[in-house]
This record gives sequence, structure tokens and C-alpha cells, in this order.
Amino acid sequence: MAEHVLTEGRRRARRASGRLNREQSWLGYALVLPVLMCLLLLVFYPFVFAIWISFTDRMVGRPGRFVGFANFAYLFGQASFQATVRNTIVLVGSVQVLKLVFGLGIAVLLNQPIRGRSFWRALVLLPWAMPAFVAYLTWKLLYAPQGGAFNMIVLGLGLSNTHIDFLSTRAWAMPSVVVATFWRGFPFWVISFLAAMQNISTEMYEAAAIDGAGAWQRFRHITLPSIRHVILVVVLLSTIWTTNGFENIWLMTQGGPSDTTMTFPVLAYFGMQSLRLGEAAAVSVAMLPIFAMLVLIVAKLLQED
Amino acid sequence: MQRTISFRWHRLSMTMLVLVTLLLSACGSAPAADPAAAPPTAAVAAAPTTAATEPALTTAAPDVAPTATEAADTATAETPDTTAAGETVTTEATETTAVAETTAAATTAPAVVAPTLAPLPPLAEGTFTYWGGLIFSEEANDMLVERIEQWGQERGIPVEVVMINQNETTQRVSAATEAGTLPDALDMGRDLMLLLSQAGSLEPLDDVYGQVGSAHGGWLPSSEAANNPEDFGGMRYGVPFGTSGNLINRRADVLEPAGFVDAPTTWEEIGEMALTAQKPPEHYGMGFALSNVGDGNLTTSMLQSWGGRIADDAGTQCTIDSPETRAFLTWITDLYKQGVFPSGATTWDGAGDNTAYQSGQALFIANPGSVYLNLVENDPELAEATKFSALPAGPVMRVAPQGPNFRTIPSTSRFKDQAKDLIAYLADDAFMTEYFAKAIYGPVLESQREFPIFVEGPVHQGLLDLAINGTAPAFPDVNNAAFAEYQTNFLTPKMIQRIVVDERSIDDAIAETQSACQAIYDKYK
Repeated sequence: MAEHVLTEGRRRARRASGRLNREQSWLGYALVLPVLMCLLLLVFYPFVFAIWISFTDRMVGRPGRFVGFANFAYLFGQASFQATVRNTIVLVGSVQVLKLVFGLGIAVLLNQPIRGRSFWRALVLLPWAMPAFVAYLTWKLLYAPQGGAFNMIVLGLGLSNTHIDFLSTRAWAMPSVVVATFWRGFPFWVISFLAAMQNISTEMYEAAAIDGAGAWQRFRHITLPSIRHVILVVVLLSTIWTTNGFENIWLMTQGGPSDTTMTFPVLAYFGMQSLRLGEAAAVSVAMLPIFAMLVLIVAKLLQED
Repeated sequence: MQRTISFRWHRLSMTMLVLVTLLLSACGSAPAADPAAAPPTAAVAAAPTTAATEPALTTAAPDVAPTATEAADTATAETPDTTAAGETVTTEATETTAVAETTAAATTAPAVVAPTLAPLPPLAEGTFTYWGGLIFSEEANDMLVERIEQWGQERGIPVEVVMINQNETTQRVSAATEAGTLPDALDMGRDLMLLLSQAGSLEPLDDVYGQVGSAHGGWLPSSEAANNPEDFGGMRYGVPFGTSGNLINRRADVLEPAGFVDAPTTWEEIGEMALTAQKPPEHYGMGFALSNVGDGNLTTSMLQSWGGRIADDAGTQCTIDSPETRAFLTWITDLYKQGVFPSGATTWDGAGDNTAYQSGQALFIANPGSVYLNLVENDPELAEATKFSALPAGPVMRVAPQGPNFRTIPSTSRFKDQAKDLIAYLADDAFMTEYFAKAIYGPVLESQREFPIFVEGPVHQGLLDLAINGTAPAFPDVNNAAFAEYQTNFLTPKMIQRIVVDERSIDDAIAETQSACQAIYDKYK
């Protein structure tokens, strides 16, 4: 009997809360509407339009007609596209691992009460604050075979008898681009991790220390779990940004030599040069499955928490 | 209840996160029109020039390569001595010859008559917009802007002149075409004009073309050929205003002490000179780009001068896979392996060769004149040590592409009559005399041949010679949209990269390029 009364009470409470939600929801929808309109107009429409174009032979100034998967078939048959897929995976994978390792390391360091901490925190932001155009042209100069700083160091230290062609050889081009891209992007990771770490209660560290936990154990069992959400979101955003990065490749190698550093955005750019909007859109759309998988994985991990 | 709401919001936020991220990623993947280093269109890229102080096309071009003049079926300058196909051309000309011919031609140019312009009503509303193409001469850019503004003042028309990087013309025009925001008139190269005219995006300009031509003694045959109505569906959609092309710039101060006093007349000679005179890493012989930029497409002209062809005479079947292509690739990759190209040539941007020459790292480069202008101002010593000559011949023929740039009017222009009036106004001889002296263009009209700069300026002499005797765009191939796409995909320099960077065999590189080329040509069938 008592159980029945309790269940009925729960039902009433649920009904009441449902009515309350519906009443409140109108205001909520009204407040969200402008944002939704913006999203639909500025994001959703171009997105759907890009997908539609990728299935047409549209060129600049021409409406185009539906060609099914012809653009994708053409794309997948190109040696440049196969190289693009490989390069994108290598570039993004390498850069993200480097950013994660160094980002975490530097954030931990800057979270300690070290001398001149504010100065170091500001300094670490410098690559992120610098315009990409300037940053990558500077890296190009550093890599220059003649007069480039790295070659002067290598030759000066006797590490090599001849200069190294960092950006124009198959062996060096991709690693060189990876290093420059990592340098430009790691401050975002550091600052994000640092902000998250500052929200962790110091009492937890103190309690762990009293219990005999070492520095590594505190990092592994307190720091990492506490900033897990931030790591996942940063990984997601940074992966998208890095995959879509254009300046780093274009300013240093134009996708060369011999497609060694060709990535999706640069390939799409070449498609645009021929005014073939359908093919250029197909390159962009071809990236979607990769992003979809990544987003779903991250969303799943976030949901688990 | 809190749990329920929290759970719903959690699911909703997750869904939104996934959705927004996907949307952003899709939209963000198409790069914005970027930087200065963007590759030019094929028309601009593949437009070399000729001789100035040394061998001129008029005297050294082999018989197999018809000039643009011949392409127009019009007899103008004296035709060159001929050699049998396959022979290396060694006939040499001097500056005197080129100038003498130029002067002779100039003296026979008809008298110039100013165009008669009907009075125009002021614009009812709005501003007349013009997109001009930026060139390396700031003075020339300013002159164009001032001239258009002057026209606006005289006609009582408010004008806005936007000077755009010519390397970005394609992207800007593409975006503006799609958005319906093209200007009222603009400058562009032939390839873009061809594509836009086929799309019905340009206004036919036969009337103003005829008007300007008759007012200035007629068009040069090369301009006529480049604007042949047969290529544009029976109409003319542009009015030429300046010819572009490449000259070979060479370091005489290094080459002459090494025994190379005369200008090279063949590509093989350039290779030999480069090998002998270079002193790496101080300087390298051949400063020609092998990268994915417009300058890299010079290698297509080289390939053609070896007798190689991109496609057949119908312009539908790719013919890259040929003994001539193998011979060319063998020559250029052997030179690369011997260290004749500066480091980085396979990844240079559009300014790579310029920088290499200006910093003293290259003995030869191909350039339309911007390097010379820069050197005169910033390094007079190197400018003095630089000599110019025509693009040399290969074993089979000489290919020295030239192409005029055009003034065009979009079909969406609100002020078509005013735009036509402006185009005629800009062709004024007094203005163009001053303009050509500062710009790096060759002439397009008969009356322009007698401008002082084309007699006195070392680079401009070459540009004049090119305008008269250079080969038609894409020659000996058919200049169609498929060829343009082949060039914008940089397939010839990529083919070379496959060998020198990836160390693949010549046969492999040819097979891949043949396949990629045919895939492009098949799209236009």
C-alpha cells in the first residue's frame, strides 16, 4: 500500500514537472531561436549545399548537373588523393601526439609555483598569438637550405657535410611540416590544460601525498582524470583545426615535393584553381567520415562520464 | 526531475556538439582564398617572353614552331631562318637585329586616331567598380588607378578601383561569380576569360574591340590570334591591353669569365653553361622552378620544345607517353641529379626563382621582367650584370608562349556602356606610353610598337619581340579547357618531381602522368 502511494506520488511529480517543462520550454525555444536561425543559415545551409555540389559537375558560373559519385570516383583514382589521405593521417596523428605530450608537460610545469610563472605563461602563448602567415614564413626561412638557421647549426656542429634540404626532400618534408605545425598549435593545449588544472583542488594532492602517492601517481590518478573532459574537447577541436590547416602546407611546400605533404585543404584548393566546384567540394566532403568517426568517439567518451 | 533535465540537456548538448562539429568541419575544409603565393592561372603561368639584348625569336626560332603572328595568318615581322625539325637551333641574333626590325616595323605603323566616344549620361545610382590586376610596379598600379579615377571625374561617374593580386584573380572571380558580386569591369588572363565566356558570364565586346583597334592602327596579330572569335563561340569577350611572357635572365658576370659570352640559343646550351659555370653552394646553374606553381609550368614549354605533346591535334587524347617526353625527362632529371638546380626548387613558391636570382643563388631564371625592375631599384650592380635573351629552343622547336591580358565586362555589370567607354579610354596612346614604361607588358596594338620604351628598354625590347614572334598560348597543343586544367594541376612539374624526389623510374612517372592527364581530358569530352 505504502509502495503504491509512493509510486503514485512519483507519477504526479513527473506529470507536474512535464507540464512545467513544456511551459518553460516556449521561452527557451524563443531564446534559442536566433542562434538556431544563424546556425541554419550560416552553417547548415552551406554544409548541405557543399554536399549537394559534390554530386554535381558544377563549375564557376555554371549551375552544374547531377553526376552521382563521378567526382568521388575521379578523386579516388588520383595518385594525389591517395597521398593526401596518407599524409593527412600522418600529419594530424604526429602533431596531435606531440601537442598532447608537450602540452601536458608544459602545463604541469607552468602549474607549479616556479619563478616568473606569469612571464612564462605569457611567453608560451607567443606562437599562438603570432599570425599563421608570419609564423610559417619564418619557419620556411629557418628551414632554408642556404642561410637557414637549422642548416647553419647542422653545418656548424659538423653534423652534416652538406646542407639539408628540409622542405624539398621526401625524408625531411613531412617531419619539418609536423614540427612547424606543432609549434604553432601547442600553446592552445597548454593554456587549456593549465586552466583545467587550476580547478583541481590542492587538498586532493595533499591528501594523496600524505597517503604516500608519488608525483607520477598524483599526475596519473588525480590530474589526468580531473582534466579528462578538457583533453577530449581539445583533442577534438585541435584535430579538426589541424586537418583543415592550409597555411602551414601552402606557405612551406604547396603540398610538395611530389605530393609528400599534400593534404585535403591544399588538394581542394587545386580543385578550385580549375574552377571545378564539384570536385573541390568532393575533396571536402571526403573528409567527413573521418571527422564523423572522431566526433562520435569523443562524444561517446564524454557521455561515459 | 533534476536528473531528468540534466540527462536531457546532456543528450541534447552531445547531439549539438556532434552536429556543430560536423558542420564546422565540412565548412572549414574549403580553404579561403589565400596568400600571395597562390598559383596563377595557366594563361599567366605559361606565358613566357623573348629576347631583349640577345637572340631574338625573329632570328632564331626554328621552322616547326609557328609564331603567334603566323597563327593569326598575318604577315608581320620578318620570319626566322629555318632549320629542320630535330636539329638544335644555333642561329644567333644580336640586339641590333631585334631593334632594327622593331624600329622598321614601328615606322610602318599606321597613324593613331583617338577613339570617338559618345557622351555618356552619369550613373543613375551606385558606384562603378573596376578590378585591376596588380603588377610588380607600384608606379604602374598607381597610374592605372589614377587614370580610371580621372575617367570617372571627366564623366561624372563615381568609381571604385580595386587592385587585386593577379595570382588570386581566379579565386576572387569564382567567389564573386557565385555570389553575383562581380565588378563592372575587370582585368583577367585568357584562360579565365575562356572559361567565363563559356559560362555566359562575360559581355561580348566586339564593338569596343573594333573601335579601339581601328583607332590605334589595328591589333598586333598575336593579340588577334589570342582573341580569335572561333575559340570563344564566335564572339570576342575581351580587349587586350598588355602581353606577358618570360625572358631568360642570366648572370653575365659569372658566365662570361667562364667563357660563355653569347646568349644560349638552346636548352641544352643552358644546361651545359650551368654545369660548367656554377659553384654550389654559392650559386647554382638553373633557377627554374620544378614545384607546384605557375613558374613550374615552364617545364611544359620545355617538354614541347623537345617535341613532346600533352595531347593530340584534336585536343582530346593525351599523348604524354612518347619517346620525346622520355628524352626530355632524361635530360632534365640528369641535370637535377648533377646538382644544377638550387635546393628547394621542387617546393618553391611563386617567388622562389626570383628570390634565388636576386640573392645571387641562380645563374639562369625565366622571368617576365619583374626581377629586373626590382634589381634596378635595389641591386643596380646585379642589374648591370644581368643580360636577357629569348626562351631558347629545344631539339625539335622553340616554344616561347606569349599571351595578352584582357579587359573584360561581366554580363552582370550594371554599367556596360560606361565600362566600354572606360576600356577605350584606357587604350589612349599618351597614357599607355607612360604606363608601358613602368609596367612589364609587351604591346598589343600597332601604334604601341613605336613607344620609346620598346626601343630603349632591354626587357621591353624582348617583350616587343615576344609580342610579334612568340608562340601562341599552349602551342603546339590545342589551347582548350582541358589543357588549362592540366596546367593548373601542374602535372609536368609533378612528373619531374616523381623522378627526382620519389626516385621512381621515368616510365613510372610518365605512366602516372599519362593516366592523370587522360582523366582530365576525358572530363571535357
